[in-house]
Amino acid sequence: MKKIETTLENLKKDIGAFYKEDLHHFMVMNAVETGDKMEIQWFFSDYAHPCETTCFFAMITPDEEVPSIKDIVLSSWVAEAELVDLMNIKIENTQKGFVLEPDFETGPLRKNK
Amino acid sequence: MAKQYEIPIGAQHISLLEPLHFKFTTENEKIVNTEANVFYVHRGIEQACVTKFKFRQVSFVVGRVCGLCSISHSTAYSQVAEKLLKIDIPIRAKYLRMLVIELDRIHSHLLCLSHVAENSGFEALFMKTMQYREFSMELLEAVCGNRIQYDFAIVGGVSRDLKPEVGQTILKRLKTFMPQLEEIVDIFKTNWTLSLKNKGAGIINKEMVYRLNAVGPFARAAGVPIDVRNETEDLLPWKEVGFEVVTETSGDVYARNLVRLKELYVSIRIIENIINGLPESALITETKAFPEGEATVRLEAPRGELFYYAKGNKTQVLERLKIKAPTFSNVAAMRAAFEGNEYASAPAIIASYDPCLSCTAR
Repeated sequence: MKKIETTLENLKKDIGAFYKEDLHHFMVMNAVETGDKMEIQWFFSDYAHPCETTCFFAMITPDEEVPSIKDIVLSSWVAEAELVDLMNIKIENTQKGFVLEPDFETGPLRKNK
Repeated sequence: MAKQYEIPIGAQHISLLEPLHFKFTTENEKIVNTEANVFYVHRGIEQACVTKFKFRQVSFVVGRVCGLCSISHSTAYSQVAEKLLKIDIPIRAKYLRMLVIELDRIHSHLLCLSHVAENSGFEALFMKTMQYREFSMELLEAVCGNRIQYDFAIVGGVSRDLKPEVGQTILKRLKTFMPQLEEIVDIFKTNWTLSLKNKGAGIINKEMVYRLNAVGPFARAAGVPIDVRNETEDLLPWKEVGFEVVTETSGDVYARNLVRLKELYVSIRIIENIINGLPESALITETKAFPEGEATVRLEAPRGELFYYAKGNKTQVLERLKIKAPTFSNVAAMRAAFEGNEYASAPAIIASYDPCLSCTAR
C-alpha cells in the first residue's frame, strides 16, 4: 500500500491531479483515531497496475470540516455519508442520516467520544 | 410535462430479499429519479471487532457479517491479519480457501439468478434454479461442517482438511450438476418471455462503471474486466487453478445473468483443478506474534471486490478494522441503473444487482 500524505487545503488538488476515471478505482474512505487527532484515508486501486493500492491521508482534529471529493470522484458520496454517520466527521455538503437513522447515537464507531 | 408519482419500495417488500428502501419518481411509468436507503441493519460489527474480541476471534465474527459470502469475509480478514503478523500460510490452506470461495460463489450466483427469474415473473425457473443450487449447500456442509457461516478460514490457515472421499463426492456432484447448468443456461439465454423482461433493462455502460466505480458481475456485464482474482495473485494463486475473467458488453440484466452463468463454469473448473491437484502441506502456520502496523486486502467475493483494512498495535485487540463490501461500491451505480427504465422492470433490476445489505451495513 502506497500512502501519500496530504492536507485538507491540498486534498482536492492532490486527488484531482492523481485520479483518472478510467485508470483508478475509488474503493472507500476510512477514519482512524490516533490520540486526539484523526487520520482520514481515501483508498484507490489502479486498473493498470494490479496489486497497487494508493491511500491518500490527512490528519485532522475532530472538529475540522473535511472537503468533499464528490466533484472529482462522483461515487464518493456513499463513503462520505458513511463516515459522517459512523465516525461523526464533518464533511462538506454531507448530511447525517444515510447510514444510520438521524436520531441514532452520534458516531458509534468512535472510541474517543 | 406528465404527472410525476413517487412510489416507495421497501424496506419490507415482496420483491426485496433484504431490508432496503427505494423511492422511485416515475413519469408515464418510467423511472426518472431514484433515492435509495440501504442501511437498515447496522450491527456495529466493526466496533465489536476492535473492542470485544481478540484478533484471532475476529475471523469468526466477520464470518457472521453475511450468510452468503461468509467465507469471503473470513478469508479477507485472515489475510489482512496474516499481513500484520507477517506470516505466509501453507499452500494447501491457500488451495482449500479457494475451493470454498468457489463453492460459495456457485451457491451465491445461483441464488441471485433464481431471484432474477422470480422477479421477472418466471416462478418455475426460480424453483428449478433453487432446486439445482441445493447441491452446493450440501457440498459446503460436507467440506466445512455448515451450510452457511463456515468458520473455515482462520488466521494462519484453515480449520479443517478436505477428506479424499469428500473431494471425490464434490467431483461426482459437479458432474451431475453440469447438465442441469446447461439446462438453465439455455433457458436464461433463449427464453422469449425472460428476454423481454431482461434485455435492455437496467443498463450500466462501460463509462458509467468507471465513473461510478462499480464492481463485480455488475461491472463485468458492461465489459469492464474488474475482478480481483485477475488482478492480485499475491495471496491466492487464482490463475494457477484456471481462473479466467468473464465479461459481457450490453450491461443489462440479461448480460449480468450471462456473466454469472459463465462464472459458474469457471468456478467448476477451478474446483476440479484444486481437487485434482491439491498439494500436501500443513493446514496452518502457527505464530505467537501480535498484529502490528496497517494493511489492506482485496478479495473477489461473489458480488465483487471486498476490501479489508486493519491496524494493529502489538496487542491482542486490533486498533481499527474497516470492511468495505461490494454492494457498498455499487450503490451509486445501482441508483443510476434504474433511470429511464419501466417501473415494472425495477424488481428484476434490483435482483440482478444482487444487493447484500448484511454486508453493506454490517
